[in-house]
Parts: sequence; structure tokens; C-alpha cells
Amino acid sequence: MEERFPTNYSVLLAGPPGVGKFEYLLARIREDLRLGEKVAFVTLDMSPADIRSRAKALHIDLSAHEGKSFVFVDCYSATSSDRPEPPTGKKTFLVSSFSNLEGIGMAMGKAGQELGTPVRIYFYTISTLFLHNSSQAIAKFFQIITSRAKSNLGFILYAVHEGVHETMTMNLLRSLVDGVIEMRFTDSMDREIRVHHMRGYTVDATWRRFSQLPEAVVNL
Amino acid sequence: MPAAARAPTERAKTGIPILDQRLEGGFPRPCTLLLFSDKPTEKRIFGENFAVQGARSGERSLYVDFFRAPQLARGELKRFGPVDPAKLILVDATSSQLLLPSPERYHIDDISNLETIREAIVAAMRAEKPGRIVIDSMEFLMDRFPKEDVLRLWRELIQAAHAAGAVICFLFINWTLAEQDLQQIRSMVEFVIEFQSSLRGGIVRNSMRVSQMGEAGVKTNWIPYAFKDLIGLTVYFPRILVTGPFNAGKSTIVRALSEKSVSIDRMGTTVAFDYGNVNVFGIEAEIFGTPGQERFEFIFKIFAREVSGVLLVIDATRPDELPRAKQMLDLVGSRIPYVVLANKSDLPGALAASDIARRMDLPEDVPVVPTVATEDRGVRDALLILAEMIIGVR
Repeated sequence: MEERFPTNYSVLLAGPPGVGKFEYLLARIREDLRLGEKVAFVTLDMSPADIRSRAKALHIDLSAHEGKSFVFVDCYSATSSDRPEPPTGKKTFLVSSFSNLEGIGMAMGKAGQELGTPVRIYFYTISTLFLHNSSQAIAKFFQIITSRAKSNLGFILYAVHEGVHETMTMNLLRSLVDGVIEMRFTDSMDREIRVHHMRGYTVDATWRRFSQLPEAVVNL
Repeated sequence: MPAAARAPTERAKTGIPILDQRLEGGFPRPCTLLLFSDKPTEKRIFGENFAVQGARSGERSLYVDFFRAPQLARGELKRFGPVDPAKLILVDATSSQLLLPSPERYHIDDISNLETIREAIVAAMRAEKPGRIVIDSMEFLMDRFPKEDVLRLWRELIQAAHAAGAVICFLFINWTLAEQDLQQIRSMVEFVIEFQSSLRGGIVRNSMRVSQMGEAGVKTNWIPYAFKDLIGLTVYFPRILVTGPFNAGKSTIVRALSEKSVSIDRMGTTVAFDYGNVNVFGIEAEIFGTPGQERFEFIFKIFAREVSGVLLVIDATRPDELPRAKQMLDLVGSRIPYVVLANKSDLPGALAASDIARRMDLPEDVPVVPTVATEDRGVRDALLILAEMIIGVR
């Protein structure tokens, strides 16, 4: 039984680099788009072109939805020293810098306005912000954005890399969201996922194996 | 070196007529502006608009950008329409972070050193003698350097701008400081412009509020604003209600004010609403005219939500309708600013404005403006008065 995350809700997806957080996000996005939801992808770690092609490899055609029910908030391209992305004709909300937390916040609002609310926002990854801003500034940003997403925009899921942040930081992020999903490697390098908690729902917090595209991972 | 360049002496216009009027022509020189919010807002549009207005009026504007690559900044500034790039001078703080050569004459080469940052900005100020300086943004520095050092740099930049007779404008969103630090920052500036952004019904709405420090200074209400391509910042009222009793001339008023208008009527009587988009005095407004008859009150109630202000239209020749007009006002609520339009004031038997105010028992500060909607007389004045009341500059 697969259900969607509720609207007016926030979730943190935590796991070590390489465990499959990005694939998990894509699976959720595919499901959202299939159900006619509107989706905004806030990218700090990859260019929209990379995301499009990785999605394509998983048989998800993002470009077919772009501008209609899907938009990128691109915080990556403006600060990569690569040549800026050639225009695709699709509307993308460009943020000038990882340091420009205000700009990220406003671009998310504009994406919501463009698509029409409620919108489901996927933020990949919050970890990158820590390379460019103080934990204190990020904490306030995170709190404001989460409450904006919940009260006005719809739903937000943040991916965060486990093992690169201090425990205090991780605990703070976990305390500011409604639900936490964790992913891990087992000793034999299998990948597992569990729902740690979801405010307002009872969850079975046991670890489960997942391989490529988990279709029925979260039972809400 | 442009040795002949000198900072201008007249006031620095914002390009928003209704605000410039209240500021007696613009911001004085020298002076310091703090563009402040504690949540993400569109304050940068104000900063950009301010720089562009300067460059357009023949001054030089210096824009210090810690976030955007200069190519990106120049690209985004194009939204304001053509500006002489030699008048809009960028200080590039991003190229060095990416180890790229800067395309700009002025650049900060070591972003990890406050002294280098200060030197680069002050050198650009000395060489170009800008009339306006925009620092975008102080939170970038506040998040990277010790608070006391940033405050010292902040004061030094203010002093340098002051000595040069320029208006310096600091963008700042507070992520990390406590209230007492904010107090200290406010005490360093002459004007604080606060910004708000809200998302309601899926639409982003922006507003700002100007406060001059000191007891007798200018203080406005929240001013809703929007950005218009090629024009810049405009005051924007998303909903002005035109209401009043049956056959007072509401639809004619909406038509007289609007560039484009739509009326949903039956044989000349409005049965749903009139709509018009107004652009006068640098103010943009969406105007909604309600039907006057009581049986359409349910429509009225739909439009009465989130109203910026009300134009209450009465037929000056029909004193018997005044109680009905008063009743319609109550439907909107007493806190919304309103202006009474004494329409058909050219007809014989029309009541004088003072007579209407007395008969309706209006508070003293409510303006009654005589109008002749069919000849477009007094209508724009009434709207301007209403706009001034809403934003608190009257």
C-alpha cells in the first residue's frame, strides 16, 4: 500500500552519500506527477540537465512536465564555473548563489506561484548549504522555509547527507520537521530504509531492504 | 579616470512619485538607508530600482554584489530596460570565489578578508563618485566575519559615503543577530525600509514601509508594491473597491479611471461587478466595482475581503440614499481607508461636500471629493487621495 505524504507537511530524508536518496526523490516525484501533483525541485548539487538525464535513465521524462507541473529552482548553475546551461525554453528559477538564502526562499515562493499551490517541493540537498553559510543562519532559514512550505506552499522534503554534519545540527534539523525517513547501508552494503517517525501517524519503524526504485517503502 | 564626475546634490528620487512626494523630492544627501527584513523578501528589487533610477537620472550608481556573478547581475538588471552600463557600476565579489577573471573594472579579490573588501568598495567610491551606493547584502558579511568587525566596516562605509555626499543603501536580512544588535544597526542609519512578503492564495504579495529615524521623521504604512518590466517598482493595490448605492455612477467611475475595463451588466445596471486596471501617478491598482442593489449583496461580500481601500460613490443629488451608502461602508469594515465621491456634483440640487459629510456623520479626516464621472472630473484626485491614505503619506 503506497500513500502520498500529506500536504502541509515537512519531511527530512537522511542517509549517507550514495545510499540512494536521489533515486528515492525521483521515485516520489514520478508518483506525484503521475497523480497530477505539481512539483518543484530545488537543486543545489546538480544541474537541471544532469537531473533530467538521470531521471530519463530511470524512465522519468521530467522535461515533458516542465513548465506545466514541474519546475526547477536552480541554485547550482549560477555558481558552477561551467558555462551556464543553454536555454531549454523551460522556465527555471535561477538562484544566484548558495549563500543567497533569501534568494532561495523567494525563488521557492515564485515557483509555487508559477505552478499554483499546493506544490510538492524536493530540496536536494540541505547539506550543501552548510559549506557556504553558518549553521545558525541555515537553522533560521530552514525553520522559516519549512513553515512557509507547510502553511502556504504545500509539502517539502529535504535530503540531507548523514555523517557530514555534527550531531547537534542533525538533531536540530530533525526537530524542525514533521517526519524523518532514514536510509543506511548494511554491513554487506545492502541498502535499507525506514520511517523513523511521522507526526500524526503511526509508523512501523523497522528497517527494510530496498533496491533500485522503492515503490512501496513508506506506509503512512 | 572620470575626474569631472561629482556626486549630485539634489535629493535622490526613488522613482515612485507618491513616495518621492512624501520625501519632499526623494532621500536627502548624504544619507543611509537600511533595507531590512527578518524573512526572505523582494528587497533586492528596491535596491536595484534605486540604483537604476540614479543611473537614469544621470548619476552614477555603485552596486556591490556579493551573491551574483556580474554577468548574471547585468542580465537581471536588463529587466528595468536600457541603462548606460557606465553609469551603473558593479563591484564584482563573486568571480574571485570561482577563480575566474572579473569582467568588471572593480572587483573584490579576496572575499575572506574584510580589509580587502573595504578597500575595493572605497576605491570604487573614490574613483567613480557615485550618487548612490547599494550594498547587496550585509548578511553575506555578517554570516562570515565576527559581528564587531562587520559593524566596524559598516560604519566605515557609511562614513565614506557620507563624506562623498552619496546615499548608501544596505540590504540586510537578519539570520543571526539579536534585537540589541539590530537596534545598534538602526541607530547608524537615517531611514529604515522594512520589507514583507506573503504568499496568499498562491500569489506572492510584497510590501514595504519607510521609517525615518527620529521623532518627527517620515513614517509610512505598509506600501504594497510590484515590479513591472521596463518600468521598475510601482505601488500596487491588488483590490480597490468602488461601491455605493444604486445608480450613483460606480461603473462610470471605474471606466473613467481604467485603461481597460469590463462590466458585467444588464441593460446598464451592474449585476455582477465592474473591473478595471488603473495606472496613474506611478500607481497600479485593480479596481472592482460592486453592484448597488441590496439583492446583490452576496457579491459585495465576496469582493469586500482583502480590500486595500474603498471609493464610496454617492449621488450628490440624492440625500435619501445617504443612509444606504453608510450601510455599505459598514459592510467593508471601518478600518479600511475610504474616500467619498460626491458624484453628479454638476447637477442642480447637488449637495455640497461639507453637507454630505455632516449628513453622513463622517469622521473629520474622511475626504469628500466632488466628482463628475461622465466628464472624468475629480475622479483621479479621489483615487490619489485614497492611495495616499492607504500608504500613510497624507
